[in-house]
Amino acid sequence: MKFNKFIAVAALAVSGMLVASCSRQVTRVSTDETIDISGNWNNSDSRLVAADLTDKILNANWINTHQQEHQGKRPVVIVGFVQNKSHEHIDAETFVKDVESAFIQTQKVRLVQGGKKREELRAEKEDQQTNATVSSMKKFGLENGADYILQGSINSIVDAHKRQKVVYYQVNLELTNIQTNEVVWIGEKKIAKYVKN
Amino acid sequence: MQRKLIIIASLLIGSFYSGVVHAQQTTALEPDQNPRYLESQYKYMRGADSLNSLHGTTIQNTYKAYDWYEARLERRRQNREWRHQERMNGYDYSPSWSLYGGYSYPYSNWGWNSGWGGSWGNRWGGHGRGWGGRTSVGIGFGW
Repeated sequence: MKFNKFIAVAALAVSGMLVASCSRQVTRVSTDETIDISGNWNNSDSRLVAADLTDKILNANWINTHQQEHQGKRPVVIVGFVQNKSHEHIDAETFVKDVESAFIQTQKVRLVQGGKKREELRAEKEDQQTNATVSSMKKFGLENGADYILQGSINSIVDAHKRQKVVYYQVNLELTNIQTNEVVWIGEKKIAKYVKN
Repeated sequence: MQRKLIIIASLLIGSFYSGVVHAQQTTALEPDQNPRYLESQYKYMRGADSLNSLHGTTIQNTYKAYDWYEARLERRRQNREWRHQERMNGYDYSPSWSLYGGYSYPYSNWGWNSGWGGSWGNRWGGHGRGWGGRTSVGIGFGW
C-alpha cells in the first residue's frame, strides 16, 4: 500500500517536472530594456537610432532657416524611402515612425502622407465624389505640397573570424529641399557590436 | 477631293500643334527657371506613380555577409539534410552489421552485383561481405 502511494507520488512529481521543463516561458519586459540574444539588429538598436536622429533633426538649423525664408511658416515634410543595404533584414519604419511622431508632437514640422497611404486617401476622396453629401465631400487639388523629403539608408560592415564577430551599422537620414534639390540636413547614427559565440 | 481633305487635316493638326507650343511658351516662367523644364516634367510624369508608391517603405537591398561560425552551422545543417535525403532515397551511410557477421557500408537496396557471394553495391561499385565471411567485390550500379 505504502509502495503504491510512493509510486503515485513519484509519477506525479516526474510528470510535473516534465510538463514544467517542456513549457515555454514568456515574460513581458520593458521596451527600454536592452536584451541582446543573437547579436543581430534588434529593438534596442532601433530605439537608439530613433532617439538620436529625432533629437538631431529637431534641433538642427534647417527649421529656423526655412521659417526665416517663408515668413515663419513651418516646413512640410514627406517621408521617402529608406534603402537597407546592410546584411540583415531591417525595417526602417520602426525608427522613422518615431521621427514622424516627434514632428507632430513638437509641432515644429508639418507632415504629409505619402506612398500607399496617400493612394488610399485619394481613393477615398474619389469615392466621396459620388457617395458623400456635397457639404462633406472633400475636393481634389487642395493637398499640402511638401517642402522637403526625408530619405535614408542603412549600411553595415561585418568582420567575423571563427567565433568572434564585429558588426558595424550606419544609419543615415537626409532631408532634401524638393524645389532646389539642396540637402539641408544629414543625420547619422553609428552602432558597433562585438559578438562572441 | 481627297487631296483637299489631306490639306485641311494637315492645316488643322498644324494649328493645334502650334497652339500647344505657343501655350507652353507663354506659360510664365519663374525667375531663372529653365525654359526647357517641360521636357523633364514629361520624362518623370511616366514613372512618378511607381516611385511614389515606395514612399515610407524600406527597400531591402541586403547582402550576405560571410560569418565563419554561421557558415559552419549552415554546413552542418546542410549535411544533416543531405544524409536524411540519402536515407529517404534508400542509401544508408551509417555503418551496419550484416546477418553473417560481415561489416558493410555503404550499401544500397537498389544495387546489383555480379560478385560471388551476393554482396551489395552502391552506384559507384559497392563492396561487402559474402558467404562465409569472405570479402567480395562487386560491380554495382544504382540510381
